[in-house]
Amino acid sequence: MNNMAISNSQIVSVASPREGQKKTGSASGFSDVLFNAVKEVNNLHRTADKAIQNVQAGNTGGLHEAIIALEKADVSFRTMLTVRNKLIEAYQEIMRMQV
Amino acid sequence: MDLTTSLKICGSGLAAQRAKLDIVTSNLANVNTTRTPEGGPYRKKTIALAAETVADNFDSTIKEAVRSVKIDEVKEDANSIKMVYDPSHPDADAKGYVAMPNINIMAEMADMITASRAYEACVTAFDSTKNMTLKTLEMGR
Repeated sequence: MNNMAISNSQIVSVASPREGQKKTGSASGFSDVLFNAVKEVNNLHRTADKAIQNVQAGNTGGLHEAIIALEKADVSFRTMLTVRNKLIEAYQEIMRMQV
Repeated sequence: MDLTTSLKICGSGLAAQRAKLDIVTSNLANVNTTRTPEGGPYRKKTIALAAETVADNFDSTIKEAVRSVKIDEVKEDANSIKMVYDPSHPDADAKGYVAMPNINIMAEMADMITASRAYEACVTAFDSTKNMTLKTLEMGR
């Protein structure tokens, strides 16, 4: 969640209309940030997957850990979705600007 | 306090209550056990839970204050034996007394209900934390 919080503010600052000139310059930095965020979400999903497999293998003592890992993955995924929606909204706002 | 720490504390609470319930189940199942591998009748077991600090690097104010639960030790109560007069029992001694575990079923049932309710409370806390986080994502929609 911490990583998501940091990347969220970076993304928003890059996409805001005032810093439009910096956009192309830091395009690679922005894609790196996005890539890391997606990788983090993917890692959480993989952890949840492993925890569920552990439960299915017979270790039902780890059931609450599997559920907690699932919920963490779910929340981080929803965060990523929200960030994506905000990005698209900001992009459309910029495209709507009269030349 | 970020989500990870909150969920970790929840998880430790759930595990601790489950352990307590296991001990209570063991006590209830062995209420009439007179033979154990260690010799003598089954002795009532109690669990001691300890609080330990969580490594929280998000909020330094709360960092020292929050604690997660740890199962400290499972203690055997060496004195929990009652002598029952039953000469026909295979484990009766010379005078006809049998050493039975001194387990109060009502007390164990009360412990079981306590552990079960505490477990549900932890689950509710977890749900509330998750709902708060999801509501945060709805800000500005």
